[in-house]
Amino acid sequence: MWAVPKPKYRNALSEEGDITVNIGGVRVVLFGDDLKRYPESRLAELSNCSAHNPELISTLCDDFDPGRNEFYFDRDPDSFKCIIDVYYFDEIHIKSGICPICFIKEMEFWKIDQSVLDECCKSYLSEKEEELKEIANKVKAILEDLDVDQCITRTQRCQKYLWRLMEKPDSSLAARIIAIASFLSILVSAVVMCVSTIPELQVKNAEGKLVEHPTMEAIETVCMLWFTTEFVLRLASSPNKVRFALSIMNIIDFMAIMPFYVVLSLTLLGTTSMMELVNVQQAVQALRIMRIARIFKLARHSSGLQTLTYALKRSLKELGLLLMYMGVGIFVFSALAYTMEQSHPETLFRSIPQSFWWAIITMTTVGYGDIYPKTTLGKCNAAVSFLCGVIAIALPIHPIINNFVVFYNKQKVLETAAKHEVELMELKSGGQAHTKQIVEKEKCHCIVRTTQQRTAAWH
Amino acid sequence: AADDASLAKMIKTGSRLTTTLPPDTIDIIRTKTHSRRVRLNVGGLLHEVLWRTLDRLPRTRLGKLRDCNTHESIMEICDDYSLDNNEYFFDRHPGAFTSILNFYRTGKLHMMEEMCALSFSQELDFWGIDEIYLESCCQARYHQKKEQMNEELKREAENMREREGEEFTTTCCSEKRKKLWDLLEKPSSSFAAKILAIISILFIVLSTIALSLNTLPELQDTDEFGQPTDNPQLAHVEAVCIAWFTMEYLLRFLSSPNKWKFFKGPLNIIDLLAILPYYVTIFLTESNKSVLQFQNVRRVVQIFRIMRILRILKLARHSTGLQSLGFTLRRSYNELGLLILFLAMGIMIFSSLVFFAEKDEEDTKFKSIPASFWWATITMTTVGYGDIYPKTLLGKIVGGLCCIAGVLVIALPIPIIVNNFSEFYKEQKRQEKAIKRREALERAKRNGSIVSMNIKDAFGRSVELMDVMVEKTDERKEKLHDNHVSPHRGTPRIKSPLNPSSPSKTAESSFQEKEKPASSPQHLSAQKLEEIYNNMTKAQSQSNFNSKEKASHSKSARQKAEFEMGSILPEAVTGTAEGVTDMKSISSIDSFISCGPDFPESSRFSHSSGSNMPGRVSTNPSLEPTLENEHEGSHGATSPQSDKSTKLKNDSPRAPSLNNPMKGRSLKVRVRGGEDSGKGGLSDSSSIQTPETSVYTTASSRTPSKSPENLRPSIFTFHDSSVSKFIDADTDEEEHLHDSSTANVTQRLLERPSPRFAQLSGFQQGPNHMEGLAKKLGNSTLPLEGQENHISPELRPLQGEKRQYNS
Repeated sequence: MWAVPKPKYRNALSEEGDITVNIGGVRVVLFGDDLKRYPESRLAELSNCSAHNPELISTLCDDFDPGRNEFYFDRDPDSFKCIIDVYYFDEIHIKSGICPICFIKEMEFWKIDQSVLDECCKSYLSEKEEELKEIANKVKAILEDLDVDQCITRTQRCQKYLWRLMEKPDSSLAARIIAIASFLSILVSAVVMCVSTIPELQVKNAEGKLVEHPTMEAIETVCMLWFTTEFVLRLASSPNKVRFALSIMNIIDFMAIMPFYVVLSLTLLGTTSMMELVNVQQAVQALRIMRIARIFKLARHSSGLQTLTYALKRSLKELGLLLMYMGVGIFVFSALAYTMEQSHPETLFRSIPQSFWWAIITMTTVGYGDIYPKTTLGKCNAAVSFLCGVIAIALPIHPIINNFVVFYNKQKVLETAAKHEVELMELKSGGQAHTKQIVEKEKCHCIVRTTQQRTAAWH
Repeated sequence: AADDASLAKMIKTGSRLTTTLPPDTIDIIRTKTHSRRVRLNVGGLLHEVLWRTLDRLPRTRLGKLRDCNTHESIMEICDDYSLDNNEYFFDRHPGAFTSILNFYRTGKLHMMEEMCALSFSQELDFWGIDEIYLESCCQARYHQKKEQMNEELKREAENMREREGEEFTTTCCSEKRKKLWDLLEKPSSSFAAKILAIISILFIVLSTIALSLNTLPELQDTDEFGQPTDNPQLAHVEAVCIAWFTMEYLLRFLSSPNKWKFFKGPLNIIDLLAILPYYVTIFLTESNKSVLQFQNVRRVVQIFRIMRILRILKLARHSTGLQSLGFTLRRSYNELGLLILFLAMGIMIFSSLVFFAEKDEEDTKFKSIPASFWWATITMTTVGYGDIYPKTLLGKIVGGLCCIAGVLVIALPIPIIVNNFSEFYKEQKRQEKAIKRREALERAKRNGSIVSMNIKDAFGRSVELMDVMVEKTDERKEKLHDNHVSPHRGTPRIKSPLNPSSPSKTAESSFQEKEKPASSPQHLSAQKLEEIYNNMTKAQSQSNFNSKEKASHSKSARQKAEFEMGSILPEAVTGTAEGVTDMKSISSIDSFISCGPDFPESSRFSHSSGSNMPGRVSTNPSLEPTLENEHEGSHGATSPQSDKSTKLKNDSPRAPSLNNPMKGRSLKVRVRGGEDSGKGGLSDSSSIQTPETSVYTTASSRTPSKSPENLRPSIFTFHDSSVSKFIDADTDEEEHLHDSSTANVTQRLLERPSPRFAQLSGFQQGPNHMEGLAKKLGNSTLPLEGQENHISPELRPLQGEKRQYNS
């Protein structure tokens, strides 16, 4: 794989195909034999075509000095120094300090395939490319928001307007008010859900059972109505229904609304068709728990929570590792504790599954004190178990935290980057128009100048 | 032609290397059009780039370089340049420039990884590129770094302002107040201040210990109502401590330079809050002794008692660590909010889950969701008191998940806060060091070991030095020449270091000698001129070129020359008439321009005289080109970007080459026409002239403007080089075709006006025309007047000649 470097003392330049190139001021003599190893590349083509073909040369390079037989390229010399390695070593390493995206552009110019890039640099490149892709996505989203005029029909325009009203709190004052109202209703419904379980605030129904206070129920109903209308409007205005249905946020929304209606229908069914009342009540109880889902609705309004979910999603492996460590620890230490505590007559460890609970509480350093070891051996075991627990938790948590911090910092940066990208695009499109203007101006100037010259000549 | 080129090259290098005189505009244009590439030397690193590439961003520094055609404007853009090497030097960071040049090449601005963002932004500013062009892959890093740096700089600036704000000049005894302020506020300023700070810390510690001891039941006394009150000994300690604090606060307040700022300071607010409760309690207990609402007062007093704890925060004044903690919390309230939000959500979820799981258990403690909040909090923070714990299996599973989730959730935002803290802490440490360094620097400055260097000043000084040197050498040369060449004229700086253009000593002397005949044609000797001419042809191939052209038509032209003279002389007279009066008012620039073209004239003249023509007559054809060149010269100076000058110039050597018998006259007519156009057209071009000819101002300003006569020869030599370049440019121009066509056009055009002027050539009509011309000249604008004036010095000798002729 290592090509033996050519002896440099051989009669250079005499051989056919040897060329002298000047890349942005750096002069290099290249041997034709080396260049021909990559016949696709620009330099190989250049060495193949002789100096007698000026048109071809002019397409391949920027300037040609026939006196010195030197080809000039208006490119970055630093990148070229790295790229030239491919002819000698068959692989390319990106010099540190050169932006990989920029480097890839250079490689494209020299017509060298990306596959020769070495693995160590590829990862770096892919990292950057990923980031760029994310930015591009963001830019696309921003651009989509910007062009409203493309809608033709009135309904579409209404749909678009509604969509922006519901989904983009920054777009207008009304949208902002709606976002705040939605946020407040989430909070209120969550508080009501909690408060309604306090026995002092509950009332007895006809059967003597404690049920929720009517005012609480009224508030709950209002909140649910608000959520429902919100959800329906979102669904109606969404341009892409499938994507809308698959979005996690919308699933959460649906989960928050659904229990209310199910309970409503079940109670109606239970009273009318005389289904088994107990079953219905159990179902209602189960669905009540699902009300908690409404708290997740807050994620729509908090970028921090979104980051958290994103980080957790990205670090599923580490989470699995954490759970595995914990599981192993729990199993080992609960079994040990159970066997060691057997000797004590009034032991609190009655079975291994029961001592699982103790193991969790100890390893996470919570320590309620409902179960605790009483023998000396058991106490030693407990000490070891919480040490191990701390380590087992701390080790896999670090990458998770790292992920979170990285995403947290990146999110801010990406936002600004996307904005800048949009600005840049505007500038470039505007700039083109501007340069056109300049060119036109120059043309006018030229015409004026030539006429002036002519008149001067006449005089 | 090769000879030609090499000479031109030599001239260029010479003019640049000695840095005495800037190269001519036309040279700059020429070198720019000559090569497609340009070499940019940035801090020693050589780059080669196509002009075309630089044109992509016309409004940046490098883009402007393309449009610059004068020495001044180029020097404004770059730090140095060499036309010979086609190289421009910039005294900037070479690392950043690589990425900037790549921006021109690829249209994508990337940033070097290891570049400092701040210095990169400075580089961008220098090269005139907006940072908005930075590609998004590098943008993020750049902005992050830049924001950080800006923040740091802002903080530093604030600190500086604070330090500068501490001025005690407003009121009396400022000296003492400053001393007191230093004593109390800056523990590091003196030994006494340090001791004071330690005493203050001891008092704080003592008072907090006393405060906590006060609540011990064994040490408490009971008052008349059976309520426990403070121990009298501890109360004394408290009083002493409060007295110390009060005194400290008052002294600080009195000595502070800015009272309102002092009052607002967070540390001072803490101080005040630590003192106030004591006085309020005393006031309340003393004033309400007899009042019935004793219970209420007691409650208020209890609250104020709690506020005494604030005095522990007084320690913050003496600990940078505590201060940075406060700052960190203030700065990372976003992350703290996130932490609380995470916790709140977790608590909410797990408490409701555990409530539903444990609800049906007998005598459960999870009676409601709010009641289980407590359990969730204690579990998530892994405190685990054990007062409430789940008993069902479902509850235990929820509890286990809650523990793990709690560990995770709390751990997540904390690194960000920690990061903030460590950054700030590091920053504060760095600042402390920076302050010390700055003090050291100031001391050094006071001692004079470091002189603050203003780059511009330094540059200006060096330029001045250079000028002085040049002048000195000039003077030396002057003396030299005075000694052996032209004592009667005192032609001072004929050769001088200003002009390395004439390569040999012989040529040098030939100039001087030639000088004499030009000024005094009466003493002209044809033989001598012949010699000179031979020297000249050897020395300067440019005259060679001229002669070639001339040679082709010399015979016929010379015959006509005599005949022409009549019509030219009247003009000359008018020129003199105007010129003599305004002679004194000639500015050095104008005279410079006017005098310059003399030289080619004389070269031609020398040539024509070589062919055994009477000197008297031979001067006349030489006069023609004078006028011509006059305009050329001014054109060249005024509108360098337009090809007008070259066109005109092209005409001049070409027109004589036509073997037309009428040519002589037509040439003369053309010249006059040129003059006419000069009246109309030049007046506006001369308005442009002033800024553009500033190049010459520098050159001419060096020459003492004693009298234009003295001045002439010195500039003479300089301009000759530039003219040679002019001609050089002509030959190199690919416009040969165009040239001939224009020549044809002019020929045709000239034929048209010639009949009109043919009658003027008669002696009778001569005076009439002369009057009209004089009138016209009189009406012309000031710069034009100047131009007329330049003609006059040369024409003056002709006056006598004319007289001769007339007689």
